[in-house]
Amino acid sequence: MTDFTSDSTATAATLVEVRGISKYYGNIIALSDITTEVKSGTVTCVLGDNGAGKSTFIKILSGVHHHDDGELIVEGAPVRFSSPRDARDHGIATVYQDLAMVPLMSVWRNFWLGSEPTRRFGPIKIVDQSKAKDIAVEELAKMGIDIRDPEQPVGTLSGGERQSVAIARAAYFGAKVLILDEPTSALGVKQSGVVLRYIVEARRRNLGVIFITHNPNHAWPVGDRFMILNRGRSLGDFAKDEITQAELTQLMAGGAELEQLQHELSEATADT
Amino acid sequence: MKKLMSLLALLFAFALVAAACSSDDDSDDDGSGSSSETEESSSDTDDGGDDDADAGSDDGGDDSVDLTQGGDLTFHMVTHSDDGPFWSVVKRGAEDAAAAVGVNLVWAPSNNDPEQQVADIDAAIAAGSNGIAASLASPDAVAPSLEAAVAAGIPVYTLNSGVNQYKDIGAVTHIGQTETVAGEGAGERFNDLGATKVLCAFQEQSNVGLEERCAGLENTFSGEVVSEFVGLDADQTAQQNTIAALLAEDDSIDAVLGTGPVVAVSALGASQDAGKELIIGGFDITPDIISAIDAGDIAFTVDQQQYLQGYLPVILMYLQATNQNTAGGGLPVLTGPGFVTPENAAEVAALVEAGTR
Amino acid sequence: MNQETTTEIAEKADDPGSGANATDERLSHRGPFQRLLTSPEIGALIGAVAIWAFFWAVSVPFGTAGGTANWLDVAATLGIMAVVVSMLMIGGEFDLSSGAMTGATGILVIMLVKDIGELGGAGLNLWIALPLSFLAALGVGWFNGTMVERTSLPSFIVTLGTFFVVRGAKLGFSKLIVDNVQVGRIDEGAGYEFWVKVFASTWTRTEHQFDNRDVFYNQFLLAGLVFIALAFFEMNFRRSRTGFSVWTGVALVGAVIGLGAYAGMHSTDGTSINWILAIVAAAGALIGIVGWARWRYDAAEPAAEADAGSMAVAGRYTLIGLALVGAAVLFAWWLDSTSERTVAFLITIQGLRAMLFVSLFVIGLVYLSRAAGAAGRAPNRNVFGIQMLIVAVIVAVAFFIQIESASRKFRTEFFSVMLLIALLFAVWSVVSLISAERRTPDPAADAWGRRLVLVGVLLAIAGVVIRLLFTTTAEIEAGGVPPASFSVRILWFLLVTIIAVFTLGRTRFGSWAFAVGGNKEAARQVGVPAARTKTQLFMIVSAGAWLVGMLLAFRLNSLQASTGDGLEFEYIIAAVVGGNLLTGGYGSAAGGAIGALIMAMSAQGIPFAGWNSDWRFVFLGVILLLAVIANNLIRARAEASRR
Repeated sequence: MTDFTSDSTATAATLVEVRGISKYYGNIIALSDITTEVKSGTVTCVLGDNGAGKSTFIKILSGVHHHDDGELIVEGAPVRFSSPRDARDHGIATVYQDLAMVPLMSVWRNFWLGSEPTRRFGPIKIVDQSKAKDIAVEELAKMGIDIRDPEQPVGTLSGGERQSVAIARAAYFGAKVLILDEPTSALGVKQSGVVLRYIVEARRRNLGVIFITHNPNHAWPVGDRFMILNRGRSLGDFAKDEITQAELTQLMAGGAELEQLQHELSEATADT
Repeated sequence: MKKLMSLLALLFAFALVAAACSSDDDSDDDGSGSSSETEESSSDTDDGGDDDADAGSDDGGDDSVDLTQGGDLTFHMVTHSDDGPFWSVVKRGAEDAAAAVGVNLVWAPSNNDPEQQVADIDAAIAAGSNGIAASLASPDAVAPSLEAAVAAGIPVYTLNSGVNQYKDIGAVTHIGQTETVAGEGAGERFNDLGATKVLCAFQEQSNVGLEERCAGLENTFSGEVVSEFVGLDADQTAQQNTIAALLAEDDSIDAVLGTGPVVAVSALGASQDAGKELIIGGFDITPDIISAIDAGDIAFTVDQQQYLQGYLPVILMYLQATNQNTAGGGLPVLTGPGFVTPENAAEVAALVEAGTR
Repeated sequence: MNQETTTEIAEKADDPGSGANATDERLSHRGPFQRLLTSPEIGALIGAVAIWAFFWAVSVPFGTAGGTANWLDVAATLGIMAVVVSMLMIGGEFDLSSGAMTGATGILVIMLVKDIGELGGAGLNLWIALPLSFLAALGVGWFNGTMVERTSLPSFIVTLGTFFVVRGAKLGFSKLIVDNVQVGRIDEGAGYEFWVKVFASTWTRTEHQFDNRDVFYNQFLLAGLVFIALAFFEMNFRRSRTGFSVWTGVALVGAVIGLGAYAGMHSTDGTSINWILAIVAAAGALIGIVGWARWRYDAAEPAAEADAGSMAVAGRYTLIGLALVGAAVLFAWWLDSTSERTVAFLITIQGLRAMLFVSLFVIGLVYLSRAAGAAGRAPNRNVFGIQMLIVAVIVAVAFFIQIESASRKFRTEFFSVMLLIALLFAVWSVVSLISAERRTPDPAADAWGRRLVLVGVLLAIAGVVIRLLFTTTAEIEAGGVPPASFSVRILWFLLVTIIAVFTLGRTRFGSWAFAVGGNKEAARQVGVPAARTKTQLFMIVSAGAWLVGMLLAFRLNSLQASTGDGLEFEYIIAAVVGGNLLTGGYGSAAGGAIGALIMAMSAQGIPFAGWNSDWRFVFLGVILLLAVIANNLIRARAEASRR
């Protein structure tokens, strides 16, 4: 896979900064003392196995949950989101893996859903279809998606294209930070490549991207910054030049635990 | 959520008030409670069952004793009623009779659902009913349950439909009109009125009674008879249009016999749509059909005097329970046919207003 | 999915024309018919036309103005409800109380205007009672929607509860207040004179004469067909880039000759001169068409000769097709056309004859068209030959029907219709022979074609409506014009359908309705007020039920307490027949309306055809299954062609 990493990292403005955030559910510690940052035009990858606290982390950033400790700083000012809508208004858009689209609706209706452009038609407001279709086709073209027919149902697009329509939509509606929740987990190798390409495209357009994944092979080619979560704790927050792909995979898989597992497995084979 | 709960509470309160009003209307005897709801009276049925033996041993006795015994008797009237215009008069008759002799009556309508009717009969047997009166619109489905009731020693009467089967299942007698005789009567009327081809329009499929009405018509009518299903009463416009379509298809039809009151009125509308004078006959009574007869638009309606079909079974069951009487002598007790024609429409209208015809 | 892709590739490989002009290799070519087949209601539309044609052919009164008024009357109330129920189903919910609500709103209004004394009879003016009952209906819709949203229970369960409450309340209050299960009469209410016109006035054809009716009818129908044919040309053939040419002149000359002769036919009476003029008109039309095609479209590329294998297949199909058509003719000729004798339960000799004839003939035509398909996809002489054979077969059968149709039940008009079909098909074949098929997407041409189709359809409908609505002095003098009364409820049906189609297609609310039915969570994520949208949909259904309740109350004057009970499933069935998904998120309001037309035509066509009503539900069931299966097939095909 090609290495897409950008070199503009150093000059970018910090969009979101997370400082020592913690979250408790009763006496269960879901997240503890997490720190990372997202700059415009960079991709911050959040890696972790199932149950590592990734979804809690997303929910705090997207305004679904509140954090209990620490600070969430958006464009220099500490905030506390009251709702997902509030987060969106701050320019943070979340694209969920399977909740993103209405499969039987056309591409352009999906693109505009909830914010359809209207014009007056006598006493009533109607959706300005030609404008909506044109903009949808244009915006998707910017993301590199060639839509043959904006009337095409989204369900007939490939999984990767569907994620990309969601990304293009978020970008068009003024998102500065995109949170992508496991966009590649349900996709094949080729489709994952499509999504990664669009992530790079979003970065090129100076968006800050938070890319949640459990696959270091997907994270490594596009990421500028990597934070690894394990059981609600951060195992580290690295810029790309501070870590190698092998180290990343090692950390991700639980480091010492993996060595232990390998050891046990080899013993088991030796026994038989 | 709180708002929702208060709304629900309000609705329930409303429903209770409505229920209270209607039972006040039905009967002024608070003690007997002449309940019209299955649920309410099912709680009483156990006592009724226990005291059954006493009622039998007392052999009549004086009035006051009878009344208390009567109050412990529970009769079940399990019909295929849809609570439409016809059945509401039957129900009224049954309730009036129950109030008059002071017994409990469980009115179980099944809305043309034989399975529901079977379930209601089985429930009545299980509750130890003192007498079951049932309509046999679907004899094959319902008969086995009634036979079980007879086997359990419960007096069984049939009403309305079932004149051909009541003996086989061991019912004491049948109270109703024989549909064939009623249809035959209608056929003779059409002969007198000079019709040549009659459409027998029925509103329910697989209802034996309605088919017998058409069969009776064929027995006596001198011209040709076509029998067709024309749609349910719930969709009156469709019914009217279906009759109009049949009239358009066959020019030679000059008379329609509706096997129900709503069908007859629909036929009237269809004849007006088609711009064709028809001789229309109907079955049973509603305000609409009476006023149409009064106006001369409909020639007659066959009245099976269904008030009697509600009233008589209760009285007969009461007399059997308290006085060991069995009526009928092996023959059905006929309640009709009577005819409502332009001559007597006004008088009948007054009785209909009172809800007893 | 994989199979489809492979066949597509195989087709492309077979097709010499596609590779050269295609700009997007992922896009396989779709013909104009296929392009029109992508809307949800198209299957139902085809089914409706087929059922109409079927009953039109087997029953004379069905096709008359009176018959049309009859089934439209049934379709109107069913259709209004099917349209609003379709909207709700698109939003992913059901309303089982909708049937009972139609009766309930009617009864409510009657009770509000009734003057009965202490209990019932608010004695209100209709001007107050109508809005009041409308608000009550909206209230029930709001209650349904709010309960579904608050409790998160399936709407099937919640509205089942409402259904029982409404049904019970209808009966309970009827008996409580008027002590009867029939509630009347609405004409006692103040303001009745005005509102009865709004909800129950009729247009009686015999009272309205229009002597030029048939001129309008013929010209409108003809113009409509011409527009539709042009539309398909525009959508199917590659437009030439050269401007006006000598062919433009040829087209004009042909058109002038054709129209002139046609006008002449209508102003003369002699039979022989009419024949001559008809031939001149046909020749003019042919010249005009060839001129048009040469001017407007690129000439056909020389097609590769079809290989021997496919020609053998084509030959075999042709033989089978001809044999089937021959068998159809033989059977019809052999069986006695006037016999009413029944051979098996509901089939008379006559019915058997009609069925055998129609099915053999249609299957024969299918084989012939498959032969044309097998002979090669590109227009070439072989295909043209087979197409001309089909034309000849249709014409021959048309003449056979005209000679044989002594029976009252088979329409003589069938002859002209079949000739017209043959003519249209012949024209299509001629233009296909000389013009190049377009194999690249051209949205402008498609939009233009769609507009032409719309104009053509509207013209044809206008012609038919004029024909149905008026009678002529000549007809009245000839005596015996059967009455036909068109109820105003047909206009209400049309109005509701138009508003619903507009709302779903053009407003934000419409988009949201599809979204909450298709994927509620996704809709919420992007800020669609899902709960509000659903509640509004429930309120729309209740408003529709109110309208139907008014139509019923003012028509019937008094209502049974059972009015409308159990009809909710008919609404849902109509919506499903019209191509709406039971699971929501896909469908159309127009589909619901067409589904209602299908149901009404099927229900009313049976008595019109004089069939035994015992089998009515068997027939209905078969129609419904066929409609739904056809819907699915067409949708699958249309979707496959997009990929």
